Amino acid sequence: MASRILSQTSLKFLRNASKVSRQPAAPFSVGAVHSDKIDDELKKREAPLVPVDSMTQTHPHQSGVTISVTGVEDVGVISGVPEEHIKNRLVRICKPARNSMQSGSANTHHWEMEFESRERWENPLMGWSSTADPLSNLKVSFASEAEAIEFCEKNGWQWFIEVPKETKPKVKNYGVNFSWNKRTRVSTK
Amino acid sequence: MASNILRKLSCSLKNVGLSGSRVYQGLSVAPSVLSRCLSSEASAGAESRPTVRQHDAVAREQISDFGRYVAECLPKYVQKVQMTGTDELEVLIAPEGVVPVLTFLKDHHNAQFASLADIGGVDVPTRMYRFEVVYNLLSLRYNTRIRVKTYTDELTPIDSVNEVYKAANWYEREIWDMFGVFFADHPDLRRILTDYGFEGHPFRKDFPLSGYVEVRYDDAKKRVVVEPLELAQEFRRFELNSPWEQFPNFRDTSVIEDATTPAAEKK
Amino acid sequence: MATVKAASVVTRQVRPILSLTQEDSRRRVLALYKAWYRQIPHIVSEIDIPKNQKQCQEKLREEFLKHKDVKDIRVIDMLIIKGQMELKETVTKWKQVGHVMAYWKDTVNKKPTDFLGKFLDGKD
Repeated sequence: MASRILSQTSLKFLRNASKVSRQPAAPFSVGAVHSDKIDDELKKREAPLVPVDSMTQTHPHQSGVTISVTGVEDVGVISGVPEEHIKNRLVRICKPARNSMQSGSANTHHWEMEFESRERWENPLMGWSSTADPLSNLKVSFASEAEAIEFCEKNGWQWFIEVPKETKPKVKNYGVNFSWNKRTRVSTK
Repeated sequence: MASNILRKLSCSLKNVGLSGSRVYQGLSVAPSVLSRCLSSEASAGAESRPTVRQHDAVAREQISDFGRYVAECLPKYVQKVQMTGTDELEVLIAPEGVVPVLTFLKDHHNAQFASLADIGGVDVPTRMYRFEVVYNLLSLRYNTRIRVKTYTDELTPIDSVNEVYKAANWYEREIWDMFGVFFADHPDLRRILTDYGFEGHPFRKDFPLSGYVEVRYDDAKKRVVVEPLELAQEFRRFELNSPWEQFPNFRDTSVIEDATTPAAEKK
Repeated sequence: MATVKAASVVTRQVRPILSLTQEDSRRRVLALYKAWYRQIPHIVSEIDIPKNQKQCQEKLREEFLKHKDVKDIRVIDMLIIKGQMELKETVTKWKQVGHVMAYWKDTVNKKPTDFLGKFLDGKD
């Protein structure tokens, strides 16, 4: 065991110190190679073993330094959303509809973004509705449509907006039919 | 010896208002603090219903006094001081003031918030700075808690408070992992909860409940493979909110109270 | 329905993550690329993946070129930071074979894009 460790450390030293000519090592599969053969292979290699911590570049500047940024920064590539779900998706920005069974209008006074629906299929075994779309259930609420649009722009999604039609409540009153300006009364004279 | 120190302490505390009368019960209490206790307990209309939370008016007054003191000491960073409905003090600060404010709260003799209980995150996509970072502090010395909130977005780094509180190390890693908020000068910022190679930040509001990938053991490859998600049964989204507004009378009221102006001035 | 791309050209002063200039970030990207490139022999030899150096180098190139159009300095910095974390996870062997092989996505079936493929797949 100790000798193994020793050889490991010497190997690392070798890797660090070696300045031999750069020659591309033959590609090989590790699984099949015997362990001392690996060592041989590694000795051939010139790539120095850089300590991983030295590769992490911390920022050298103090706080208070600023850089100027123009426009919206596209954070889509760092949000972790798969590329397929950024480039191929269309976002619908809308106000949620009122519950059609009741006339209460709470929960309809904000804007939501949701993704266009994708293919669903019937599960052959159980008859469930299956999907391959992880975003089919996602809804994000916003106070205003401008904020929703900004959010989509930032994340790189194509969007469209559905402005709800403002309908004036119709007066439904029997007596209105006979109001004075309706001219429904026929003069007796 | 100890009581002598305590007496000195309580004298100096009078100026600040964070005397924590409960700490001093049974000890030599400075007279002014005691008298304030007695007068306010007599005047406050006692809440008799057992299910309603009882407010400790003295503690509330003292902690909001302290909040005001913090705001006066650090006007550059403190943007707002507020009291929640459950008598907790919240200090809302600018993101560049995280380290100074927390250092102040930890090291100030009359605060001694030496314990960082937790760092939390909140994602509000509707805001320009969508993430809130919340620091919960505990002062064991005065038996008091305080909450410090700041804000950031996906790209703006926040200073790590690891130098102030060692406990922040893992909490900040957690925030980084779950929300993707970058902490500058963190000694060891890396994932803590998600799997290696996981992409995305699961506590973001735009991260789907199911995630984007599924993981299974592949018999042929003899290893775990990562594949795009395919749900045999799609998640159902239940709209359980009532279409009727529950408390229209309280539409414009908030339990959060601005503590920047003292209670005496408000009346 | 109108699909719109709003163009805003407001310039803001923001806090940098690592780099102050485009040149700076470019240098960091190259440094990260080289760090990965130099670690590939060790990754190949120490983790039991059925890939050789050349394939790893191609994959590395592909992963970097995926983001070749990114222009924002802070986004580049964030990608660099994530890349460094990945590198550390790989080199220190926190990642297991499955994690490393996840770069290749070799079990994912490509979805058919042409008409006949879709037809035969029974979709669309």
